[in-house]
Amino acid sequence: MTPAEIPFLSATQLAAAIRARDISPVTAVDAYLERIAAVGNRLNAYITVCAEEARAQARRLESEAAAGHWRGPLHGVPVGVKDQIHTAGIRTTDASKIRADFIPDADATVVARLKAAGAVIIGKTNMSEFALGDPISSWFGPARNPWDTARNPGTSSTGSGAATAGFLCATSLGEDTGGSIRGPAANCGLVGIRPTWGRVSRAGVDGASWSTDTIGPISRTVADCALTLGVIAGHDPKDRYSRREPAPDYLANLDGGVRGLRIGIVQELMGGHGLALDDRSRDAVTAAAAVFRELGAEVAPVSLPLAPYTGTIVRTITSTERVSLNPEWLRERFADYHPNTRVAFAVGNLIPAQVYYKALKLRALVRRQVLQTFREYDLLLQPTSTAPAGLLADEPQAVTSKEMAAAALREGSFRGLYSLSGCPALSIPCGFTDSAGNGNGAPALPLALQIGGPHLGEGVILRAAYAYEQATTWHQRQPPPL
Amino acid sequence: MNDLTNDETQALAKAVGLTLHEPELSQATHSLNAIREEMAGINPPGFNLEEYVAVVQDADLEDAV
Repeated sequence: MTPAEIPFLSATQLAAAIRARDISPVTAVDAYLERIAAVGNRLNAYITVCAEEARAQARRLESEAAAGHWRGPLHGVPVGVKDQIHTAGIRTTDASKIRADFIPDADATVVARLKAAGAVIIGKTNMSEFALGDPISSWFGPARNPWDTARNPGTSSTGSGAATAGFLCATSLGEDTGGSIRGPAANCGLVGIRPTWGRVSRAGVDGASWSTDTIGPISRTVADCALTLGVIAGHDPKDRYSRREPAPDYLANLDGGVRGLRIGIVQELMGGHGLALDDRSRDAVTAAAAVFRELGAEVAPVSLPLAPYTGTIVRTITSTERVSLNPEWLRERFADYHPNTRVAFAVGNLIPAQVYYKALKLRALVRRQVLQTFREYDLLLQPTSTAPAGLLADEPQAVTSKEMAAAALREGSFRGLYSLSGCPALSIPCGFTDSAGNGNGAPALPLALQIGGPHLGEGVILRAAYAYEQATTWHQRQPPPL
Repeated sequence: MNDLTNDETQALAKAVGLTLHEPELSQATHSLNAIREEMAGINPPGFNLEEYVAVVQDADLEDAV
């Protein structure tokens, strides 16, 4: 294997090759850094590339390996980390001019756990400014989708999706408030899991919305996702809301299959109900459900009547919560935000208290509907997004009507059930568009299935996703060469 | 429900110490009106029997706090 081929290994393959001493940590890190230097500017996936630190860390890990000391399952594996997650001595910008020079003193718990497992932080990935769902608001310019660099890689973990799909890191971390792990996974043809709220520590992560924020992996395969989640999951006394249940070995339990699992398809998210669902997304999810049926699962339609409204409810809550953070910046640095961020933060400040309170009450109802559904079903299926990745040029530079704003609220409903209920959900590729349908000879684009599960149900979600992945070939496709 | 005007949005903004300028004033007004209208339209059965409780209810987590 040549060094240039190393970035195309999965994270699990690379970890195994390093452990077998077929590839050294220094060789692996150099291979990624060389690829980033060669093609990284096509994607703008990184705000900061940690070349010097990564090479120094790789040398330490190589020495340790030579001495027979292996830190953990990611020994020598390069990982990209979203730039709202603190890294000691490395700037953490939230993709904002306001934080452009902020250098944390300490690592976030998830970064400390990555390092303890042997990972090498290869860079800090681009994102929407302060993790709002806007692909063009980064102070450092937008990240681009490797499948078509004219397209949105998915928000708000834009760079984590772009870097992982573009083979600029082996696996990555994102943060999901209203869909910011699942969206980039969907747009970039990746596997991303929003864990149970509290399953992964948020200590040392700049918050977007305290009651919905989660940290999780965005990876190229289900196994990579399970591997990465297993490293970062588990109780953390620094995060008072983190769950105490020990994290299972997700990677070791992928092979269980889906025979006998009861799987529901959320009917309200499969067309109609005021939601603009692309036929290709609907058809791909319908076909994926048939695969689960063939694999032995019991698949049936299920109704969650509030599902089409969850986007509005999520946005009302998160818009209000996020402006409670750093209110002084709103008054003293307002001009330094991207214009779209200024609008979003202004709206968050002006939502009437009774509207916010109604959203909280509706959240309780949604949560009840979701939890009751999981008494009868092990998993739920639905599309992750309304449509494949859109063109960055088509992204709104401004909200020009109430109707336009309302449509954006409703689109969030495809990820709202889990943001509101705190349950875990994973996005996995389930098809591709016909390239001819994209116009102008654009390449085929990924379509995505979302698999939701009950609280702490990451294991069964990953197991089902793995069974689906192994029964299909979508994960074998790669974006066009950069 | 009547939509807010830009002047009304500006007045609300002043109340929380913000001053909005065009085009962001109009954009904020559109977004606020969308949220108000969409939220007003969500009235499921049982809504008035529901009260918001803490997001996390598990006893073990309460112990952790």
